[in-house]
Amino acid sequence: MPSMLTIPPRLPKAQNPDPGASKFCPGCGHGMILKTLASAIDELNLQDRAIYGCDIGCSLLSWNYMNIDTIQAHHGRTTPVIYGITRATPDAVGIAYMGDGGGLAIGAQHLVNAAVRNEKMLVVLVNNTNYGMTGGQMAPTTLPGQVTETTPYGRDVEVTGKPAKGAEMVSAVVDTEAAYVTRGTVNNLRQLKTMMKRGLQNIADGRGFSYVEALSVCPLNWRTNNVDTWDRLDEMEGFFKVGELVVPQGLEGVK
Amino acid sequence: MTKVQEKHQGFEIKGCGKGKATWRLYTQLCKGCGLCLIKCPINKKGKNCLHWSKEVGIYSTPAVEPDPALCIACGTCERLCPDSAIRIDRD
Ligand SMILES: Cc1ncc(C[n+]2csc(CCOP(=O)(O)OP(=O)(O)O)c2C)c(N)n1
Ligand code: SF4
Ligand code: SF4
Ligand code: SF4
Repeated sequence: MPSMLTIPPRLPKAQNPDPGASKFCPGCGHGMILKTLASAIDELNLQDRAIYGCDIGCSLLSWNYMNIDTIQAHHGRTTPVIYGITRATPDAVGIAYMGDGGGLAIGAQHLVNAAVRNEKMLVVLVNNTNYGMTGGQMAPTTLPGQVTETTPYGRDVEVTGKPAKGAEMVSAVVDTEAAYVTRGTVNNLRQLKTMMKRGLQNIADGRGFSYVEALSVCPLNWRTNNVDTWDRLDEMEGFFKVGELVVPQGLEGVK
Repeated sequence: MTKVQEKHQGFEIKGCGKGKATWRLYTQLCKGCGLCLIKCPINKKGKNCLHWSKEVGIYSTPAVEPDPALCIACGTCERLCPDSAIRIDRD
């Protein structure tokens, strides 16, 4: 039965077909989120205006994933690198793609200030409740009781506090008339695509800051099989509420 | 420069979606994660539609394939596959 197919795999135009299989582990949520982002860029026809930045962390494995101009920044510094670019190139649709460690730990100050200043950029923050690239240490988003490399007995909230809720934090400081803030999940990629499109359109319109958090899966460091991976994601959705938090006027029509 | 790849290693299962669709799997993309098996709506009903294949993927771990008699060509597996290893087309 192994044969050669003449019909190519179906990839979004904004995704680079040349590298073949991505550099992510089997079943990694980054692949689901990035292909959804690329489809959203296609549907809004933004490939020529888009500039993509990836962080240190597993997100850096996407340095050749997109078929758009790409820059790879230092850990947590993708946000300022991208708004530097969009300030210098106002027509650009700047996208900063990062993990929860990059965005909510080391890069939190950049995220907060970009949100407060209403920088015209989209932050896509992948919440997989750990530091994936470095071997699965506790992240700000690690769930109470979750076992990681650095919380071998489970995260103790008495010692390390409760998990950081990125979308709620950003919502508290943005200009609610201009910013778009939401949380999606790889459990619902149709909804995530609509959210990505709204976030992108908000930038393309020159209105304001967009933040799309995506609940994701990291089967490698979670040490989960396919059943347990989806179950863990359900548990995360119980803690991190999925849905839009701030929607400015003018985006209702973007589906 | 874009490389033009004219042939893609993989296999196809005809006759899905009541005989109206073809389901394709690219073995150089499938990493055998098995996440699609859990989300197939027919599998969720307790039937064995999407299952491990005798063919292997890029890491020599089993790829997946549907039972064409059960597959409704809903596109769920194609949409979620992190590596775009599945492609379904109406004939
Ligand atoms: C300034 C700096 N501090 C620490 C590191 C080490 N480091 C590399 S990746 C990473 C964490 C990545 O986790 P996250 O941002 O959650 O992304 P993921 O890998 O889970 O996608 C850390 C701490 C670094 N590269 N640079
Ligand atoms: S370590 Fe986790 S986040 Fe990183 S590529 Fe592997 S599965 Fe994805
Ligand atoms: S087809 Fe995709 S989702 Fe299914 S096992 Fe292969 S890589 Fe995983
Ligand atoms: S197309 Fe739908 S029914 Fe067919 S194998 Fe994929 S998920 Fe199952």
